[in-house]
Amino acid sequence: MIELRGVTLTYPNGTRALDDIDLSIGKADFVFLVGHSGTGKSSLLKLLYRECLPNSGEVTVDNIRVDTLRRSKVPALRRNIGVVFQDFKLLPNKTVWENVAFALQVTGARSKDVMRQVPRCLDLVGLSHKSRMLPGELSGGEQQRAAIARALVNNPKILLCDEPTGNLDPSNTTEIIELLQRINLKGTTILVATHNQAVVDRMRRRVVRLENGRILHDDERGYYFRGLGQSPILSG
Amino acid sequence: MQLTAVGTVAVTIVMLGTFLYVRDTVASFGSGILKQIEIAVYLNDNVDDTQAAAIQAKIAGDPRVTSVRYIPRKEGLREMRERLGKDFDTSLLTANPLPNGFRVQVGNADDVPAVAASIGRIHGVAKADYAADTVTKLLHAAAVLGRIGLAMIALLIATAAIIIANTIRLTVFARRREIAIMQLVGATNMYIRMPFIAEGIVAGVLGAVVAIAVLAIAQAQIIPKIAATLAFLPLHVNGLQLAGELLLTGAAVGLVASWFSVGRYLRV
Repeated sequence: MIELRGVTLTYPNGTRALDDIDLSIGKADFVFLVGHSGTGKSSLLKLLYRECLPNSGEVTVDNIRVDTLRRSKVPALRRNIGVVFQDFKLLPNKTVWENVAFALQVTGARSKDVMRQVPRCLDLVGLSHKSRMLPGELSGGEQQRAAIARALVNNPKILLCDEPTGNLDPSNTTEIIELLQRINLKGTTILVATHNQAVVDRMRRRVVRLENGRILHDDERGYYFRGLGQSPILSG
Repeated sequence: MQLTAVGTVAVTIVMLGTFLYVRDTVASFGSGILKQIEIAVYLNDNVDDTQAAAIQAKIAGDPRVTSVRYIPRKEGLREMRERLGKDFDTSLLTANPLPNGFRVQVGNADDVPAVAASIGRIHGVAKADYAADTVTKLLHAAAVLGRIGLAMIALLIATAAIIIANTIRLTVFARRREIAIMQLVGATNMYIRMPFIAEGIVAGVLGAVVAIAVLAIAQAQIIPKIAATLAFLPLHVNGLQLAGELLLTGAAVGLVASWFSVGRYLRV
């Protein structure tokens, strides 16, 4: 589903964000991308939805070569990729329903589809009863669920999450991760960039650790820190 | 914020409209004069009627010539009397000093010198005369005026375009979060552009409508006064056509300006 081959990304200021990355993620995989701030996690996600282009190497998403994709084809690519951010990026003057519907409407969807898809997604994230509320009236966790509903409304094959729980307390964090797990079970490939050791260690999914723009290790059923095992504080 | 754009477009288009109006008036005044310019052809005295007819046919055969009128010497004298009136006592003349001739009109004033020269070379023609100085000066003035006009129009339109572009840029900036999300979820650039372009066109058209209203009022108030003092000016500019042109200009300026100002935000 996602293939990176020898990908190098250097920012205009000379910083090397990613250095010769090889990574392969299969369909319906659930992968954590971990590492310190500034190790290239966000940059890697941006390459996938073509927010930026690599200096060298190949980026393939769902059999589409993203690095050579014509600009006019970018919208089609992005309809296949849902993206969720730490700061939710909801429109503050639109209701939850409108925020979710907006993502569908701007792709030119028919109102019949909007009326069908929006309730489905709100139901999936458990926000049906708050669909008429504005983002400012919701808790952080609810806002993130609204953002996930928006990311899912186009039925993407891939969901990219950039620090999805960075602004949330532990109980909201659990809620969001469980939601991502449910979405994953329906066959959506999920890639989560995170700092949250507790989440990674509890989930025991594939963990890719980036350091200084390189992949330090890549473990099936891994931990946040390799070899340390589950943190004693969090066990139980 | 929109008001600024509409207002500036209105002011610009009022200036543009005034300019076009003046230019049209001068142009139709000028072409009126140019149309009146004739080539006076005088024949040699020994040319008989058959030869004169042949010469007339030859002149009329030139595609640039629109009309050739035969002026027998008697009519020439009568015309001269009419033109000079009391200043010239024709009764002093013992004989008609004028030769037979033609009055030749040319479709395009630019061609007058060339046509006159070629008529002058025809056997039997004594002289082909025209108001050389007036024609060349008028042609030159018309050309210069046209060029100044084009430059002025370009400047005015550029001003309006820049102001619309800046206004739209403000709107785009205010809605950059929405635009970012639209791009993220896969809206096409065309879809994102559309509302801003519509806004630009509306600003341009509204400005033009205001300007046309102002111009119409000005025309109703001012033109009769000018017409009273300067009766020779042809003040019958086609108002509807001018209004249409100004509307189209407003819309086009709005379209182009907004297209570019949104485009800068759509780069990936």
